[in-house]
Amino acid sequence: MAAGGAGGNSGKTYSFKVVLLGEGCVGKTSLVLRYCENKFNDKHITTLQASFLTKKLNITGKRVNLAIWDTAGQERFHALGPIYYRDSNGAVLVYDITDEDSFQKVKNWVKELRKMLGNEICLCIVGNKIDLDKDRHVSVEEAESYAESVGAKHYHTSAKLNKGIEELFLDLCKRMMETAQAEERLKGNGASQSASSRRGVQIVDDEPQATPAGGCCSSG
Amino acid sequence: MSQRTERRGIHVDQSDLLCKKGCGYYGNAAWQGLCSKCWREEYQRVRQKQIQDDWALAEKLQREEEAAYASSHGVQTQSHAQSTPPHPGHASLGPFSKFEEKKTNEKTRKVTTVKKFFSPSSRSAPKKETQEGKTTSPSISRHASFETDQVSRDFVDFLKNLQKPGREIHKQCRAFIVNMSSKKDLSAEELSECVQDFYQGMADRLMSHFKGSSDSVEQVMDQVEKYIMTRLYKSVFCPETTDDEKKDLATQNRIRALHWVTIQMLCVSMDEEIPEVSENVVKAITDIIEMDSKRVPRDKLACITRCSKHIFSAIRITKNEPASADDFLPALIYIVLKANPPRLQSNIQYITRFCNPSRLMTGEDGYYFTNLCCAAAFIEKLDAQSLNLSPEEFERYMSGQASPRLNSSEGDWAQTGSALSVTATNPVLAQLNHNLELLSGLSSKQEKLMEAAQSLQADLLSWPESVEREVHDILEKYPLEILSCTVSAIDANNVDNDNLPPPLTPQVFAG
Repeated sequence: MAAGGAGGNSGKTYSFKVVLLGEGCVGKTSLVLRYCENKFNDKHITTLQASFLTKKLNITGKRVNLAIWDTAGQERFHALGPIYYRDSNGAVLVYDITDEDSFQKVKNWVKELRKMLGNEICLCIVGNKIDLDKDRHVSVEEAESYAESVGAKHYHTSAKLNKGIEELFLDLCKRMMETAQAEERLKGNGASQSASSRRGVQIVDDEPQATPAGGCCSSG
Repeated sequence: MSQRTERRGIHVDQSDLLCKKGCGYYGNAAWQGLCSKCWREEYQRVRQKQIQDDWALAEKLQREEEAAYASSHGVQTQSHAQSTPPHPGHASLGPFSKFEEKKTNEKTRKVTTVKKFFSPSSRSAPKKETQEGKTTSPSISRHASFETDQVSRDFVDFLKNLQKPGREIHKQCRAFIVNMSSKKDLSAEELSECVQDFYQGMADRLMSHFKGSSDSVEQVMDQVEKYIMTRLYKSVFCPETTDDEKKDLATQNRIRALHWVTIQMLCVSMDEEIPEVSENVVKAITDIIEMDSKRVPRDKLACITRCSKHIFSAIRITKNEPASADDFLPALIYIVLKANPPRLQSNIQYITRFCNPSRLMTGEDGYYFTNLCCAAAFIEKLDAQSLNLSPEEFERYMSGQASPRLNSSEGDWAQTGSALSVTATNPVLAQLNHNLELLSGLSSKQEKLMEAAQSLQADLLSWPESVEREVHDILEKYPLEILSCTVSAIDANNVDNDNLPPPLTPQVFAG
């Protein structure tokens, strides 16, 4: 049930939880709908909701189940962030390139996430609405240098033109897989100890236990 | 000999060997076909019942004795008072105090029994406990088994398909439940850890057994969760060791105090004037309230999910586009405020502690559950700012001095006017009015019923009086006269005995 445990012997299935953070109106929902349904502002969108979406991927022979959690972006719900992003493997922080404030908000999120979850979470900073480049208020250099300074990757996307979104999520998945694998290796060495101390004399040939952050991401 | 073995071969069936209770263990003829464990339970139950009956009988006897003693003693002390005036009390003090002691003993025993009954204990109390502790345990297990029988049967049926591993799973689950019941003193977090460890261990073993077919594992795990949590529900839901109950009450009161919050303040994108939307809102409220009635964490989650789906439908109808979290969370908060779900905090804690983690962490159910947690947290912390109100306004609404619906400003009056016109057109409101009329009709009927009942009561009270009076009158009119009648021997009356002819004597004829 733990990360990687769901796959058994025949190739692993990773399950990742990704939270979508960002102010209202930056296009979070459009972004994820474009990614999962390949639709934009479409009246024919059949899905009832765009707040929880899943996507199955196959990356270098490994199966990945991606669960994308949308969060309420209104300022009044800011304090609820920790409830949403606990145990998540990745965070997509979206801002609107025409809106300086939304970028500022992203910076706040980054600080908070790093403080609460450390470096275990993979961060993506996403400048959305690049189709409106003429109204740009957040400079590319500023955004990219900031992302680098906090250990995040920066992407430019347009949900309207379907630009950069596939790359964003593919990249994120790869990074999350690396993190998960690194963690498994780390636990593979130390797991027997921690597991046996918790469970007495039972068999310890199993996968690492579900632990906060990295561990319990797979629904199997 | 051969015939015998053949007969035996026919006779001894696998199912005959198993415990009659169907627990999967082998039974024994000496124990009426039960396995050792079921037999012990059965035997205990019978014995406990007998002990209880004996106890009740003893109590009854004691009470009678006490009453008899008290009355006779009352007479005694009266007579004693004349003969030995210096210590009238002393003579009675000894025996009476003894009785009182007995009484208090009885009382404390009863109290502990009651306490035990309500405390989250379950079967097989530790041996060192006194008799009173034990007497309660069978009643609880009986009570629990009454409700959990169906689940147990389903579980056994389900595991039958798995054959040998199924029996192994059942064995482990039972052992775990017994183990858990001996741990009732642990804190909720520790109990949660035990259950989670069990899930983890079980999942790992199943994973190796099913060779990684996660669907089958999940299926079995769902059944295991259902079985275990139905059994443990009573002892681990809102346990005494936590302040869950206090939090429940606080949340409930908080939501009551926030009754004035309108859909507009929360910026919910649901238009309740559309009949379909309000229908969905009602369904969502029903679902979230229903959550409390479920025992299995997964069933509770399913209620939350159903509620969420209704909210999504309502938003979808209103906005004609898929709901984002920006729409969903405020709507859920609104639903929670309207529903005021019973024991919300306890339910959240229970699910967090005892749900299979794989479901809670990443699944869709988990997402909705997280949103519910957010809603609860938001309601707890809600202030003027989060409703875009000034602190003064918020204060006034909270204290009940003002209501947002009855504002005196002219703009709001206009709104109220339009709202009234809406009443006429909106079928839901019409329905509401109709229902209100029906309700008031009902209440007037109820009042009439109450009046009739009261007059009946008065009649009943005066009836014995009138009967008494009547009887009294009759008694006065026809006073009871006891006529002295002289009873004499029948033969004594026969004075003329001597005048009677002599009794016939049998005559013997020859031949």
